[in-house]
Amino acid sequence: MTNIRLIILSAVALVLTSASQAEMVTDPDVIVSRANLAAYYAGADGRSEARMIIRDAQGREQRRQFTVLRRDVEDGGDQDFLVVFRQPSDVRGTVFLVKKHVGADDNRWLYLPGLDLVKRISAGDKRTSFVGAHYFYEDISGRAPDEDHHTLIRTTDEFYVLEHTPKDPSSVEFSSYITWIARETYLPMKIEYTNTAGRVYRRVEVVEVKDIGGHPTVTKSRVIDLDGKGETSMEFRYIAYDLGIPETVFTERSLRRPPRDWLKRPAGKK
Amino acid sequence: MRSPGLFICLLLLAQSLSAQEEANDWGGDEWEDAESSGLLWSGFIEAALGTRWERDQQVGRKQTLGDARIRLETEWTGERLIISFTGDVWYDSYLGELDGELRDLALGFSPGSNWDVKLGRQILTWGTGDLVFLNDLFPKDWVSFFSGRDDEYLKAPSNAFRVTGYSNAINIDLIWMPVFEPDKFLTGERFSFFSPLAGQLIAPDPPLSGIEPNQGIENGEVAIRLFKTLGGNELAVYAYHGYFLQPTALTDTLQATFARLAAIGASARLPLGSGLFNVETVYYASKDDRSGDDPRVPNDQLRLLLGYEQEAITNLTMAFQYYMEWTQDYDALITNSAMPQFEPEEYRHVLTGRVNYRLDQDKVTLSLFVFYSPSDNDYYLRPLLTYRYSDHWSFTGGGNIFGGNKRYTFFNQFEDNSNIYARIRYNY
Repeated sequence: MTNIRLIILSAVALVLTSASQAEMVTDPDVIVSRANLAAYYAGADGRSEARMIIRDAQGREQRRQFTVLRRDVEDGGDQDFLVVFRQPSDVRGTVFLVKKHVGADDNRWLYLPGLDLVKRISAGDKRTSFVGAHYFYEDISGRAPDEDHHTLIRTTDEFYVLEHTPKDPSSVEFSSYITWIARETYLPMKIEYTNTAGRVYRRVEVVEVKDIGGHPTVTKSRVIDLDGKGETSMEFRYIAYDLGIPETVFTERSLRRPPRDWLKRPAGKK
Repeated sequence: MRSPGLFICLLLLAQSLSAQEEANDWGGDEWEDAESSGLLWSGFIEAALGTRWERDQQVGRKQTLGDARIRLETEWTGERLIISFTGDVWYDSYLGELDGELRDLALGFSPGSNWDVKLGRQILTWGTGDLVFLNDLFPKDWVSFFSGRDDEYLKAPSNAFRVTGYSNAINIDLIWMPVFEPDKFLTGERFSFFSPLAGQLIAPDPPLSGIEPNQGIENGEVAIRLFKTLGGNELAVYAYHGYFLQPTALTDTLQATFARLAAIGASARLPLGSGLFNVETVYYASKDDRSGDDPRVPNDQLRLLLGYEQEAITNLTMAFQYYMEWTQDYDALITNSAMPQFEPEEYRHVLTGRVNYRLDQDKVTLSLFVFYSPSDNDYYLRPLLTYRYSDHWSFTGGGNIFGGNKRYTFFNQFEDNSNIYARIRYNY
């Protein structure tokens, strides 16, 4: 009996070992695709509260607090977002609805409660400030993997280190960027952007990762403008996945009447 | 400002609030939870000043704006109910009086999973135009708009029952305003305007007032919108039954009053190229003068709006609109008019342009909105600079500049009212 258990255990160990060796991926497109899924598509849907502290070059601070609901139309593909602002007071009640389309322009709406106005926002440069932060709109919603060429420059014990160059250099402010993608979780842990002069001018880094319902999730990160124009740190809390948020939550109705059942904090979460 | 004392009081109040705010900043670890922390009060304190270039002959004043204002808002959320409140109190140094406005005091609930109801005082908006309104026949505050108060104040509140139903096939908005609520139109108190009757610019004292319909159930306003979003395309049809929002009709004794109005319209808004395209149309049926031969009552009109908006370069958005008013039964109007020389053209065309530029991580916004009418040969410029210094303090400066070459045209009648203004706001 004991022998059989031993044999089974060693067999399992063998399988596990070979599995983790198989995880030594060399195709950069596969790594980027998995990183995209890990960073932006955890679960079929999700709910999270976020807050940001924005520090400008003079050290002055601004704050933002909002709740995000997300639903994937397709894993790695289109997604819906609903962002409800809570702080600061001049944007409280503002609601942002995004229908993200991979390979096409996103549809975006903003609800301004003071005017009862549903404002449609035209497609714009995605590499501009998200609500006044150093994060770009694209950092929050994800940059489509097929917008860049990817090269695996080295593999360390912990990271795949990749260099990415834009297919359309005129559409972005960087000439290339390097990502450090964790081999275990596929989360991009550090991204450094290089300008045309060859200098690193912008760094996005993960400060804390937690396991939320089996999904390794970034709970703290920050972005630094290395030209001395300040930084933004961001924290996520009260995260939950696979809540079964219906498609109807991501419609005009939620702009005027934010869906409280989905926005409220899940019981027992921190 | 006539009362520097009040202004200093506001600043001191802002400072004490500021100190209090720092104390419960995010240094600690509390995450504000809108669901559980009870009533959360917020709002702002604002001082605003505005002036003409020189004293207006009719109004007899140079000043156009002088507000010291406090805004208070909160929301109570129960298991099945939401009660919202937004109110303003301000000292108006132009009028030399304390004023107040309840902008929102309403009860929200959802009877059944596909219906939302909002009952009470509320701001109502729909339609696709940018500062041009066709199917949005909810009250506007043109005095605030022309004097440089925040754009928010262009929308005046209504007492209304609003029921919105959602389904896969179509969504419906039903709004009933039991008592007719007109625009806050120009009365001569703050701004002069052209009177066809007088044949000149006037600023009547006592100010112009319109005789409002009797408060009976039959004299309320009803507005309906059927709407649907198909892909990224937003489609809507609208209907309205009520009154023209401005006192553009005359009684038998030549007093200003509001003519009855029925309107039907439609709109679409969709992505086009890398921008957004919108089209909206409406037919105004002037119910007291269907044949258009009563010169004291406005004629029927067909109105059309076409618009396009696009981000031209990073952080710079440009938008254009073409707007047309086609007065129906025009021959009958001119034949019967006592002052045909002052009647608008049969087709009034207006072009609008907006340039919006965001700088310094959205802290600074520069914008210019231009109305230009080729048929009236007049214009209205709205330059605006907003500096959001911090989460608390913001500074705004702008202007309302009118011009043209005929005294009686829509924008040029306000030429002597051209003004510049500045506002300081503390958000708490």
